[in-house]
Amino acid sequence: MNFFHRARRLLVLAALSLGLLSRAADPARPIIAQAALAESPAQRIAIITTLIGSGDESIQGLLAAWKEDALFVYAAPDGAKIPVQLSGDKDDKDSQAATRVDTGKPLLSAAGQPLRLIAADLTAVEHTSALRRAMKAVLDLLDLSTPDLKKRISAIQTLGFAQDAEKLAALQARQKLETVPAAQLALREAIALIGLKDASTEVKLASLQELEALHPIGSADALRAALKEAEAASHPSLAAAARAALNAVDRHLTTVNFFGTLFRGLSLGSILLVVALGLAITFGLMGVINMAHGEMIAVGAYTTYVVQNVFGSGLALSPFGFSFHLPGMNTGGWLYESYFLFALPLSFLSAALVGIAMERTVIQWLYRRPLESLLATWGVSLFLQQFFRRVFGSNNVQVSSPSYLSDNWTFNDIIFGWNRVFVIGFAGLIVLGVWLVLTRTSLGLLIRAVMQNRNMASCMGVRTERVNMLTFGLGSGLAGLAGAFLSQIGNVGPSLGQSYIVDCFMTVVVGGVGNLPGTVVSAFGIGLADQSLQQILLNPVLGKITVLIAIILFLQWRPAGIFVTKSRSLEG
Amino acid sequence: MITKFTQLLSVGALALGASFGTAHAAETVKVGILHSLSGTMAISETSLRDVLLFTFDEINAKGGVLGKKIEPVVVDGASNWPLFAEKAKQLLEQDKVAVTFGCWTSVSRKSVLPVYEKNNGLLFYPVQYEGEEESQNVAYTAEAVNQQATPAVDYYLAEGKKKFYLLGSDYVYPQTTNLVLLEYLLSKGVKLENIGGGFKKDESGKIISAGKYTPFGHTDYQQIVSEIKQFAASGDACVISTLNGDTNVPFFKEYAAAGLSAEKCPVVSFSISEDEFRGLPAKQLVGQLGCWTYFQSINTPANKKFVADFQAWLKTTKTPGIVKDGRVTCSPMVLSYVGVYLWKAAVEKAGSFDVDKVRAAYKSGLSFDGPGGKVTTQKNMHVTKNVFIGETKADGQFKIVKSFDNVYGEPWLKGKFKAK
Repeated sequence: MNFFHRARRLLVLAALSLGLLSRAADPARPIIAQAALAESPAQRIAIITTLIGSGDESIQGLLAAWKEDALFVYAAPDGAKIPVQLSGDKDDKDSQAATRVDTGKPLLSAAGQPLRLIAADLTAVEHTSALRRAMKAVLDLLDLSTPDLKKRISAIQTLGFAQDAEKLAALQARQKLETVPAAQLALREAIALIGLKDASTEVKLASLQELEALHPIGSADALRAALKEAEAASHPSLAAAARAALNAVDRHLTTVNFFGTLFRGLSLGSILLVVALGLAITFGLMGVINMAHGEMIAVGAYTTYVVQNVFGSGLALSPFGFSFHLPGMNTGGWLYESYFLFALPLSFLSAALVGIAMERTVIQWLYRRPLESLLATWGVSLFLQQFFRRVFGSNNVQVSSPSYLSDNWTFNDIIFGWNRVFVIGFAGLIVLGVWLVLTRTSLGLLIRAVMQNRNMASCMGVRTERVNMLTFGLGSGLAGLAGAFLSQIGNVGPSLGQSYIVDCFMTVVVGGVGNLPGTVVSAFGIGLADQSLQQILLNPVLGKITVLIAIILFLQWRPAGIFVTKSRSLEG
Repeated sequence: MITKFTQLLSVGALALGASFGTAHAAETVKVGILHSLSGTMAISETSLRDVLLFTFDEINAKGGVLGKKIEPVVVDGASNWPLFAEKAKQLLEQDKVAVTFGCWTSVSRKSVLPVYEKNNGLLFYPVQYEGEEESQNVAYTAEAVNQQATPAVDYYLAEGKKKFYLLGSDYVYPQTTNLVLLEYLLSKGVKLENIGGGFKKDESGKIISAGKYTPFGHTDYQQIVSEIKQFAASGDACVISTLNGDTNVPFFKEYAAAGLSAEKCPVVSFSISEDEFRGLPAKQLVGQLGCWTYFQSINTPANKKFVADFQAWLKTTKTPGIVKDGRVTCSPMVLSYVGVYLWKAAVEKAGSFDVDKVRAAYKSGLSFDGPGGKVTTQKNMHVTKNVFIGETKADGQFKIVKSFDNVYGEPWLKGKFKAK
C-alpha cells in the first residue's frame, strides 16, 4: 500500500470520527465495562446500544474479544468486580496478560504489579445472539469505513434495509469518500431505500427513479410497501414510479434466474457427466452391467476422507476388531487446504486398483454373460458397502471443503459457486483426458480394438486380458475421481454409491450405450432440463419426475439413445 | 486373496450371527425395546437402544422396579414399517412385555399404534413429532410442535426477523409442523408474502401445504439456495428447516458456498441434534440454531452426572454392537431415559404393572428431575418440559442462547392460532 492510500484512509477515519459521529468524545471503554457488569442480557443490550454512532477505536477490538469469549470479570481481593480482557501468549501456567476493560491499562495487583490470569479459572462474560445483534449495529457504523470491502458493503446494505433516516447523514458522508464502484453502488441503493421513507414527494420520486435504474433485488419488499402506501394515498405519479421500479426489479430477477438456471444446469450436467463417464467405459464400451460402479465412487470419496485426515490430525480406524491409528501430518492453513489436490490422483488410483482387483477376481469370468455379471457386480457392491461400514462405521463421515471450494463469485446477482465452477472445469478436463487416451495413445487403440471385437483382437496378438483389466481400471478410476468431487458437495457414507447409480445408468443409456460423446450430450441435456423444470415448477420433486417421464418417452422413441452405436460387441 | 476374502466373509457372518443374550433372573419384568437396529434409521435409533439399556442397568443396580429387575427384550424394526407392527405384536402377545420403549419416525409409530390399542399395551415415544394424535396407549415424552417449532419462531421474532422461509423433507412431520407454523406466524402478524417456500392450495383456496419440500436423499440444493438468497436479499430473513438426516449436508454445503451465513440468514433445524453431528460437518453450521428440550451442554450437576454415567457405562458394557467412541447425548436419548423413569414412577405409584393402573398413575401428574430439568406428565399423555434454543459450535455441541421453562405439551395445534 502506498503512502497516498494510507493517508487517504487516515483522512477518512478522521472525517468520520470528527465530523459525523459527534458523540465520539464519549470514551467507549467505561461503557463497555459497565455493560459487561450488567446483570441481565436486556440491560447489556441497552448499554451497548448507546454506543451506536460512537467512533471510538477501542470498540472494535473489545466487542470482538467479547464475542470470542476473551472478556472476563475478575473479582479483586477487595470484592470489587473488574472486567478484564485476556490477551497475549499463554505461559507455562496457562496465564495471560490482563487488561482492564474500563481504562485499557494492565490490571495491577494491590502491590502495583501487573497481574496474569488464567482464562479457565474465570467465567467469560456471556453474550446472546440478541446482544451480538446490538453489537453488530454498533459495528455497522464503524464498518462503514472498514478497509474490508465485503464487510463494508454488508454494513451499507444493513443500514439501507433498516430505512432509518438517522443513518442517512453517515451514508452520504461515506458516499463522498467511497472510491470502490461496488461500494458506491451499495451506497446509492441504501440512500435511495432510505429516501423512500422521506416526507417529501420529490425525494420519494427521485429515490424510486434511482431504484428503477439500479433495480436491486433486495429492494422489492420496500418497493412493494412504497407502492401500497402511494396507492393508499392515491398519489398516481408516485404509484407509477413505484410500479416502474418494481417492474425493473422483476425483469432483473428474470434475467438472474435465467442465467442462474443455465449455470446450475451446466453444473448438474457436469456432475452427472463426472459420475457417469466411468460407467460409460465399463458398461458402455466393455458391456459389463457394473452395479458396483457406485461403490467405486464411494471408494474415491473415502480416499478423500482419509487423505484429509492424514493432512490433519490422523485417523483412528478399527476395522474387523483390529484398531490402528493412521498418523496425521498436522498441517494447517494453506497446506491443509491443498489436501484436496492430493486426494484427486489418490482417489483415481485407489478406485482403479479396487476396480482392477474386481476385474481379476470376478468379472473376467463373466464377459460373455451379462446377466451373471449384473448379479455378481451387485454382490460386490453389497460386499463393498458392508466393508465401508466395518472400516469407517455406518455413520456418514465428515469431509470439510477447502475454502477455495466453498465461496462464490456473485456477478450481477448471479451466484457462481466455486465448487460448481470447479466441477464444470473438472468435467471438461476429464472428458478431454479420456478422449486423448482413447484416440491418441496406443493403449487407446488397443482398448478400441478389443471393445470392437475381442476375438479378432486376440487373434492379432493383443493381450486382451491385460487390456480388459486396464480398461476396467480406467473406468473405475474415473468413478473414484467423481467420488473425490462428490465429497465436496454431499454426504460421504456407505450408501453414497446407491444414490448415484440410477443417475449413472440413466445418463449412459440416454446417451447411447457404447458412445462417449452421447454420454456428454445426455449429461448436459438432463442437467439443464432438470434445473429448468425446477425453476419453472418451483418444485424439486416434480422437476425430477418430469425429467424421468421425458426420458422414458424418449427411450420409447429411440431405444438405443441419442447416438446409436453400431458395434459388434453389443450384437454378439 | 481368496483366503483373505473368505476370512472377511466369516467375520461378517459372525457379526451378523451375534444376538442379544437375555439373562433370566428369578424376579424380572419384561420391557420391550422396539427400534431400527438396521436399515436407514439405524444410525439414529441405535443410540436410543443404547441409552435404554443404560437406563435399565442403572435402575436394576438400585433394586429395579417394585423389587423386580428389568429384563430387556430387544427387537429390530429394521427401518421397515410393516415389520414394526409385527415386532410390536410379538412383544405384546408372545413376550407379554409390561411396556415398550420405541419408534423414531412418525410412520413407524402410526403403524404400531393399532397393535398397541388392540392389545392395550403401553408405548413410550421419545422423538419430536407433529402432534394431532393422543392415544391412550402411547406416552408421548417427545417434543410436541409447541415445544420446539413455535418457541423457535418466538425467538426469531424477538431477534427482529420479519421473513420466514419454510423448508423440509417431504413427509408427515415437516408438512404438519409447517402448517401449524404458518398459522402461528400469521397469528403473530407476519404477512403471508413474507413467508417463503411456496404454498399449495386446494380448490377452495385453502392452504394445504406450506413451504418447500425435498425427498429423502435429495442432493441438489442449488435452486432452493438461490431462491433463499433472493428471499433474504432484503435482510431480516431466516430459515426454518425440518430437513431430515443426510440431506442436511448438501443443503448446508450449498448454503455456505452461496455466501449465506448465520449472521445474514440463520437456519433453525429441528432434526439436527448432537448425535447427528457425528456425521455432519459442524464447521459449516457454526452459528446456525437448534431447538430441543435438552442439550448436552446444559450446565447442571444432574446433566453432568448423566453424561458421565452414560460414558462410564459405554466403557464397561458388554452388549455386542455398541459403538463406544465419540458418543454424545441428545434430546431423543434423554427423552427415552426420562420415559423409563416416568414409567417407573407410575408403576410405583400404581403398585402394579397393569397397563390401566399405570396409565391412571401416569396421567395424575408425576414429576422427574431429568438431565434437561424437571419434566411433568400431563392428562393428555404428553409431558411438560423445558425448551432450549442453542447455537451450533464448531465441535458439534450447542451453546444455549435462550430457554423457556415448563412448556406444556399440546398435541392439537391445527386451527388453534388465529390470524389477526
